[in-house]
Amino acid sequence: MAIIDGLNKVFESKIRLGIMSVLVANGSADFATLKSLLELTDGNLASHTRSLEEAGYLRCEKKFVGRKPNTTYIVTESGRNAFAAHIDAMERFLKECRG
Amino acid sequence: MEEKEVRQTLNDIREMMSKSSRFQAISGWSIIIIGLYAAVASAMAAAVIGVGNWLPDFENLHQFANLNTPSRIRIAALIAIGLLALSLLTLFIFAIVKSKRHNLRFAFEKRTVQMSLDFFIPLAAGGLLSMALVMQGHYGLTSSIMLLFYGLALVNCSHYTYPILRYLGYAELILGIIDCFTMSHALLFWFVGFSVMHILFGILYVIMFDRKK
Repeated sequence: MAIIDGLNKVFESKIRLGIMSVLVANGSADFATLKSLLELTDGNLASHTRSLEEAGYLRCEKKFVGRKPNTTYIVTESGRNAFAAHIDAMERFLKECRG
Repeated sequence: MEEKEVRQTLNDIREMMSKSSRFQAISGWSIIIIGLYAAVASAMAAAVIGVGNWLPDFENLHQFANLNTPSRIRIAALIAIGLLALSLLTLFIFAIVKSKRHNLRFAFEKRTVQMSLDFFIPLAAGGLLSMALVMQGHYGLTSSIMLLFYGLALVNCSHYTYPILRYLGYAELILGIIDCFTMSHALLFWFVGFSVMHILFGILYVIMFDRKK
């Protein structure tokens, strides 16, 4: 079994990859949207977005809509690059498997 | 990591990217209501043009008004324009309400503009063409042109939203093509395309996408 180079540890979790997929496709997404798209609980989503934020792949904007707090997550440039590199690595791995 | 697993992961990513960027603000209920508007508009047009033998109350309306055929067709065209305006207004209001309720704010940006352009460009071309034909007295193909260009507009914008919209587009195209080759019954085709199809599609849409949440 070939060892895959360039795979990103941060993206080992499928949930984090899912969050990044939504953000890269849309630029940004709010908490409720991510939650319903990925079918996660509040706590689960929050812990994964926190680790992505710590890695510098997204930033969050908190504001109030009326009385409800509303968090929007925005993908950063380095997040986009890391995501693209991770997908490249997976595609390269598949090519090697075939070749 | 196994090959299969990597492939599955890439598929999941692709699916999530397209699913999340879909325009979800359209409400199935507004599609049903538009179908009902179209049914009323068809009945009005039938009364004005005078094909509605099944409408005893309206049957002789045009005779009272003493209208000739071109002006009757023009009134029918005005009804169609009014229907379009009312339908767009309904669609828009329901879309705003739905996106507020489901917090779809992020879907109301660049994508909305792009989707609207892709929808309205074929629709405007077809609308202007059928208007020109009516003004020049060629009525025969008006309903099929409306159906064909509406079908093209739907197919053209469907990749921004649920792919099922494409099939409504195909259905309108097929109906328009049959209409082209059929003498008379234009209003019947128009009624099926704009009323029956919308009501059926709207019900399907509500069952598939609106009730889940």
